[in-house]
Amino acid sequence: MTDTNPLERYSRQMRYPGIGKAGQEKLLASRVTLCGCGALGTVLANVLVRAGVGFVRVIDRDFVEPSNLQRQVLFDESDVTNNLPKAEAAAVKLRQINSAVTVEPIVADINRTNIEDFCEGADLILDGSDNFEIRYLINDVAIKHNKPWVYGGAVGSQGMSMTIIPGETPCLRCVFEAAPAPGETGTCETAGVLAPAVNIVASYQATEALKLLSGNKAAVNKELLILDVWENTNRRVKVAPLAGRKGQCPCCAKRNFEWLDGAHGTQTTSLCGRNAVQVSQRTKGKLDFAYLAGVLKQSGEVSYNKFLLKFQLVENGDPYEFTVFEDGRAIIKGTDQPDKARTLYAKYVGH
Amino acid sequence: MAIKVQIPTPMREQAGGNAEVVVTGGTVKAAFDDLLRQYPALATKLFDNGKLRPYINVFVNDEDIRYLDEMDTAITDGVIVALIPAVAGG
Repeated sequence: MTDTNPLERYSRQMRYPGIGKAGQEKLLASRVTLCGCGALGTVLANVLVRAGVGFVRVIDRDFVEPSNLQRQVLFDESDVTNNLPKAEAAAVKLRQINSAVTVEPIVADINRTNIEDFCEGADLILDGSDNFEIRYLINDVAIKHNKPWVYGGAVGSQGMSMTIIPGETPCLRCVFEAAPAPGETGTCETAGVLAPAVNIVASYQATEALKLLSGNKAAVNKELLILDVWENTNRRVKVAPLAGRKGQCPCCAKRNFEWLDGAHGTQTTSLCGRNAVQVSQRTKGKLDFAYLAGVLKQSGEVSYNKFLLKFQLVENGDPYEFTVFEDGRAIIKGTDQPDKARTLYAKYVGH
Repeated sequence: MAIKVQIPTPMREQAGGNAEVVVTGGTVKAAFDDLLRQYPALATKLFDNGKLRPYINVFVNDEDIRYLDEMDTAITDGVIVALIPAVAGG
């Protein structure tokens, strides 16, 4: 596309008084790190790149699968056929949408050893992930390096979003003190998800991004947004007074970055010669096998006794077998790749 | 008029399939006692060793009880108590 005026493509959003030419120039000079490029992430990337955010780093560890196409708006059947990583497939589409901005795809499993590098230089971090391990890692990095970030989550017909500005709003740990134990809350695989629910949550996140990057911090929503597209609810609950939680928030008040330091989260170990990976979960409490079995029976064969739960499933023609222990640890047979094992764990045992 | 407790989707199976349960009680704690008396299966979903699970937040008419009087927060007829767990997927 040849433009005599390179700003012409942004003319409609520049006409909006909140953005204007000055705001557009700020967007063009902005850098964003997008953690995860699934349902939330593809909507976020789509909006940011069309809006002219100058540099978007897109990080995802997964490949495009047929079950993604119902809601992950940047992917199509050819991406599945070509077995493309989500970050790369998204980058191809995004560059076709807007060749004037820089898209940097990274195919990687975000963890505590690399997330600080991925977020370096970013003006804003966006949550396009599907699990709380990554969200608490983002929260740690954002508070530690004084960068704003926007949380979004969606499952079933419901979703929530919150904008975190270090020093000004509560952080994720002020509001949600700890991650749900494995198996305690639904995932998109176990509880299902409606595309509009994720699209709406991501659109709210993207709007927050546009406000922050265009220099409109005062317009940011400082409360927790909760919506359900099936039950027709949309509300903001007041969380602002939780900021720092009277000096007791381990992250933003005490500056203990427990997820970044490895005190929480998962650890993986490849089990040599067994085509299996052990995923360990550093959470307290015991799994409720009866509940987890009830959730998993929709996705595969489940059995359990007092000590362990076995779960067998076939995903894209590949068989996997989970052996899950009461403390949340799982041995996943069928892969020797830690990234794949973490993906399977996050999908089915959840977080 | 009554106090309504809103039950999140992942806990409705333990609440007889209800999205809302009508309870009585002058405090959030008393409301929880009545809720668990009606639906004892909710106990392990909400509490761990007598403590509310840390990923579940309780709002009284959209105000978080952690900056009110926590479980002693006074409530009256017409109040809505919402149980809001963190939403994981995406």
